[in-house]
Amino acid sequence: MATEYKLRMGDGKRIFMTKEQIVADLKEGMADAADLGSIPDLSEDELDKLVDIITMPSRMVGVEQGKEVPVTHDIGTIRIDGDQGNSGVGIPSSRLVGAMMHERAFGADTMELGHIDYSYKPAKPVIAQEMQTMEICQQNMIVPMLYGAMPNMGLYYTPDGPFENPGDLMKAFKIEEARQSMEHSAEHLTRDIVWIMQRMMASGSDGVNFDTVGAAGDGDMYASLHAIEALRKQFPDIYIEAGMAGELMLGMHGELEYDGTTLAGLWPHEQAPLVAKAGANVFGPVCNTNTSKSAAWNLGRAVTFIKAAVKASPIPCHVNMGMGVGGIPMLETPTIDAVSRASKAMVEIAGVDGI
Amino acid sequence: MSNEEMFKELADAVVTCKKDVVTAAVEKARSEGIPAPEIIEKGLAAGMNEVGVLFERGKLFLPHVMMAAGAMEEGVKLLEADMPKDAVTKKLGVIVNGTVEGDVHDIGKAIVSTMLQSAGFEVHDIGRDVPLQNFIDKIKETNADMVGLSALMTTTLQGQKDVIEMLKENGMRDNVKVMVGGAPATQAWAEKIGADCYAENASEAVVKAKELLL
Repeated sequence: MATEYKLRMGDGKRIFMTKEQIVADLKEGMADAADLGSIPDLSEDELDKLVDIITMPSRMVGVEQGKEVPVTHDIGTIRIDGDQGNSGVGIPSSRLVGAMMHERAFGADTMELGHIDYSYKPAKPVIAQEMQTMEICQQNMIVPMLYGAMPNMGLYYTPDGPFENPGDLMKAFKIEEARQSMEHSAEHLTRDIVWIMQRMMASGSDGVNFDTVGAAGDGDMYASLHAIEALRKQFPDIYIEAGMAGELMLGMHGELEYDGTTLAGLWPHEQAPLVAKAGANVFGPVCNTNTSKSAAWNLGRAVTFIKAAVKASPIPCHVNMGMGVGGIPMLETPTIDAVSRASKAMVEIAGVDGI
Repeated sequence: MSNEEMFKELADAVVTCKKDVVTAAVEKARSEGIPAPEIIEKGLAAGMNEVGVLFERGKLFLPHVMMAAGAMEEGVKLLEADMPKDAVTKKLGVIVNGTVEGDVHDIGKAIVSTMLQSAGFEVHDIGRDVPLQNFIDKIKETNADMVGLSALMTTTLQGQKDVIEMLKENGMRDNVKVMVGGAPATQAWAEKIGADCYAENASEAVVKAKELLL
């Protein structure tokens, strides 16, 4: 009987596979990424290395000495205090305590301050509190402390915002009106992000994290890139991190461009140069996990996508690793066997600069 | 031109997403004596399937899907006189779609609604953060064949299970198919709560809906 190895499905379920099955799934996942993104396959050596990582007997694995990379956290300040609705652990603590725990106990290399609603728009009415908290964090911490939130352009559509919901307009075949609604929303989103960051920079912030760029489609990315550009002009030394929402830029509008490139339909390796061009320091590529496929399939696919993004990116790539992204299963608290294997593969094969 | 070439021309016309191109192709097919049902099924519908594939591959986008659906609708209108009335107006099925109570995520669900609508289903999108009773009420009101339940948070997934229980309590479960989706939903979750299917994305939602309702 062939030796079987413990793996997981994309939904976290424990499965057992032979080496041959693992190799077949790795190749299939890789081929899917290569086909969709028109990017190169992994080499035979890289596939062998992936097999080694997946089949390592240890429950938890780590990168080889000398290959350590910086690790940063989004939403981290409220991950301690927040309940499960915020993917938190529900331990009563202030945001300062949450940030300091990440810095001093968990080894985070950069940290961010985030509001419990975690979008830029709802930070506007509480900006004074955000500024004060940033100042206190900066007085107590050493690692770079950014302000972070989701651009989340959906908050500008009805019923949350002033512009008619493009989803409703689209279903009524009012395509031009839907596009105009997105364009207006994008203008407001850019303006709000810049307004908030002007105040956070005045409070000592080291920079900004754009978390889940493109969650509301290409208009969301359009607004974010313009905000990055404006912030870079106003604050030449600001540290800007831009992490994506998903692997493919959804074309809700379909025709928005940045620097002559249509945003809809961009894959990670095509997103990276635009993010750099706008003025970001770090790009956060994403590859989504398919819950119906094995960890081998997902990891083969994710590493292929992210490797191409790293190669194409003029700025460092800090890959998004967590629940349902980066080849990691879709679990509220992803298992360490899957997280550590996917992370090792991203560093040693995809060549990411950070996580 | 052979029928096969004509069907390809019709399908290609739909992929252009342009009404005038589609209507011109339909007129041409009619003038060549191709029966209306074949023009629709082998030409226009095949073109919409291709649009779905291109959407999934990131080559066409939501507005294009809607434009293609609109163009196809115009083409079908031209054929109405040649078709039995119910064959033209009959939808593939009635679907109520929404994001369950406590969850304000809207965009993914809206994409699924749009794709289902463009595929020929009658879709009643009842929004996000929808009180669970509203799903039951809307299903009754529209005599729906299927309900789509979206949730983007692990904390709101339970709402999908609750709606299924409510369908059973109301004696409606046997007549209504249940599709679940959203980032934390999985095939295993769908099986656990007794849903009829789980869809990974909007394109898959269309495929699964067709499998269950046609």
